[in-house]
Amino acid sequence: MTEMSRNFSPVNTFCRMCDNHCAITVHRDVSGQISDIESYPDHPWNQGRICSKAGGAVEIVNHPDRLMRPLKKVGSGWKEIDLEQALDEIADRVGDLQSNYGPETMSVWKGEATSFNQQEDLAKRFCRALGTPNYLSVDSLCFCTREIGWSLVYGCWPKPDFRNSRCMILWGANPPAAHPPLTRQILKGRERGATLVVIDPRLSTIARQADIHVKPKPGTDGALAWGLAHQLIANDWYDKDFVKNYTVGFDKVAVYAKDFTPEAVEAQTGVPAQTVIKVAALMHQAGSRVAQYTGNGVEHYENGVNNTRAIAYLDALCGSFDMEGGSLQADGLGQQSLALYEEIPLQQLKRVDGEKFPVLHDFRQECNTMTALDAILTGDPYSLRGMIMTAANPVMTNPNSEKVRKALSALDLFVVRELFMTETAQLADYILPAATFLERTELYTYAAIQSVSMSTRVQSIPGVQDEYQFWHDIAHRMDFGEHFPWEDESVLNEWLLQSTDVDFKDLQNTSKAVQYQAIKHKKWQHRPLTTPSGKVEFASSYLVANGYEEVGEYKAPYYIRSPKPEYPFSLITGARNHLSYHSSYRGVGRFRAEVPGPQVEMHPDDADGSGITDGETVKLSSAIGSIEIPVKIVSRQEIIPGVLQATHGWKEANINVLTHDDILDPIDGFPVQKGVAVKVERIR
Amino acid sequence: MKIVTMDPRKCVACGHCENACAFHRTGDYDHRNSAISVNHYPDKSACIPMTCVHCRKAWCMEVCPAAAISRSADTDAVLIDANRCIGCKMCMLACPFGAINFDTEKLTCFKCDLCGGNPKCVQHCFPGALEFESEEAVPLANRNQHDNRLAVMFGRENND
Repeated sequence: MTEMSRNFSPVNTFCRMCDNHCAITVHRDVSGQISDIESYPDHPWNQGRICSKAGGAVEIVNHPDRLMRPLKKVGSGWKEIDLEQALDEIADRVGDLQSNYGPETMSVWKGEATSFNQQEDLAKRFCRALGTPNYLSVDSLCFCTREIGWSLVYGCWPKPDFRNSRCMILWGANPPAAHPPLTRQILKGRERGATLVVIDPRLSTIARQADIHVKPKPGTDGALAWGLAHQLIANDWYDKDFVKNYTVGFDKVAVYAKDFTPEAVEAQTGVPAQTVIKVAALMHQAGSRVAQYTGNGVEHYENGVNNTRAIAYLDALCGSFDMEGGSLQADGLGQQSLALYEEIPLQQLKRVDGEKFPVLHDFRQECNTMTALDAILTGDPYSLRGMIMTAANPVMTNPNSEKVRKALSALDLFVVRELFMTETAQLADYILPAATFLERTELYTYAAIQSVSMSTRVQSIPGVQDEYQFWHDIAHRMDFGEHFPWEDESVLNEWLLQSTDVDFKDLQNTSKAVQYQAIKHKKWQHRPLTTPSGKVEFASSYLVANGYEEVGEYKAPYYIRSPKPEYPFSLITGARNHLSYHSSYRGVGRFRAEVPGPQVEMHPDDADGSGITDGETVKLSSAIGSIEIPVKIVSRQEIIPGVLQATHGWKEANINVLTHDDILDPIDGFPVQKGVAVKVERIR
Repeated sequence: MKIVTMDPRKCVACGHCENACAFHRTGDYDHRNSAISVNHYPDKSACIPMTCVHCRKAWCMEVCPAAAISRSADTDAVLIDANRCIGCKMCMLACPFGAINFDTEKLTCFKCDLCGGNPKCVQHCFPGALEFESEEAVPLANRNQHDNRLAVMFGRENND
């Protein structure tokens, strides 16, 4: 074997085309170019399986449209500039803005396109070191509602143990598209005798194997959850020992649940009363082996956090919290903290979202993006003039796209790090080329199996920086280089692991996982939860202190509460395709095969009523905006009448032009991107 | 021999097997180029995957007038030699499972070749509807699922 070909031997690492981190083997051709990606057989998370997004990464990494050189906006066009010059100019301009308008005039916005946890913490670290409290991220409209909703009850978001479950309940989640490895666990659980209940107004991919497909009207999940709670309590089907010894506020929940009779739930959700009774009975029969999972479908409503709390209560009622076949209170890796929360608390500075969302800040130490974009436009509470955004595309993913575009265009300094020229990047003053996951190394934690792995850098492209190197280089050009002391990502990974029992060398150059802690259940027996009371909180005194409801009360979505005859349809946005990840990969050839373009899904009866034919382009409007988009008439089982669905991320028909940035969940600030009141007009 | 076994109780028709097969064969995700195909019948709540099961008495092989179909010495897979195939489609008619396809560009028939013993479709099946396993394993999936259900109904759980 020659030296040359040895260099290009296959590399075992991890996919990061979505946030599941499946173990893969990367092959390169004789010239060293990445040529194929296969599954790696021996990792406990993906168990030798991958999805076709992984193979498609080859096309992303080698794509001719990938950004490879820094670009500076000159007039209405772009000029390629040297990386060092770009970093110098950006550091200078950030410094100038901060000395003129105060440190908090700068913000950092972290997206999903390159990676998450570790990269998020690095961005938070940079933000703190820069002296601004204005850290923003896609978490403002994804993940936080679930994390906060469950954590308010349990102090954590527990992980479902599908494999050992008897009754699996998915709320607004479609793992085959969004979390492929969970699909395997769910089907394994079903093979082993569990019943699968899928709650979704659409026949999602996973609903195709549901034993019971429950189809509530969008945003009414809370009423359904309360209805199930009512059944469990009224029939004496709840775990009295657990409730008595390990929870607070049960009495209040029992009182509030009383109104949610099966008939009342049917009236509110459209789910037949008999179905509510049946699902509750299945939960009862499963004993403590009830595994629930909430997806992005429960978020994007103004009552998302409280709906999630109501769902979370069911675990405690069934006694399935931290039980085999129920949910796991997963222990973390305990790696060193990057985010500088304690070192630089920044308490004295006012956040750009003011005090509007204290709970979001307490749980996530970040600001709400909808409010931040308003602040850019209004100067209230102060003007936000600078932003460094890494791998986010809010023009496509945040609600009210036109306002997002206007706000980002109004910044004095807008720096974007990206893989491709996105709709958002087009608004930037500087664009820096970002590294793909195959050009970085970072730690991936698999909380559900309490294991950790580390990705391997497969290739490096001159001038294309990884996230760490970028933050490091700006920090060292300014006066806070001491917060970025590590030479590179690999040294950083080693430092992160120093506070753990995991040996860095055991993770190097391998696709194996190291379990940092054996799985144990019933930890509540001897260890208080991290909630304020140390117990499961049906009632939250913390929320009361912040001016919110003590229990997770149900509030009907606005399209039901105050219906407007001119907007007769309820629009869901954001159902996932199997080959995309939020707004990513839309323009890339191989990925276009599955869904060739944007479309709005419609029930045949709704189409018949208005004479609309399959494939016809219609005008779709909400109170916020309107677009033209082709209709896809789906089968009768695939969506409930009166409800439409359009996936986000298509620049040809950007559905977020219609979604609400003006109706937010009062607890965590999530926008209404589902259950949007819309009308459909034919174009003559 | 090992074949790709298919379990409709686990298939969700996500289409990753079709993407992977099409890509392995032709370099795109066009499902017309895939040797495995999955049909979803929403009105019947059914997802049915189908690929060649490499029949021990292969009618496609028997009917082929060009002697283009043979059994692999390595994997026992039933293979179509595209160089010998005359595109008569008799094998497609003979196959009772509709597991043979026609390539409208090359004007020849194509089918699963088990990727030489490491089927891509199986690698890309998260739900576990597809497995690459021995012929004898086929009834085991049914038996296991049946046993599991009865075990839940009648078993006495030792839950300490």
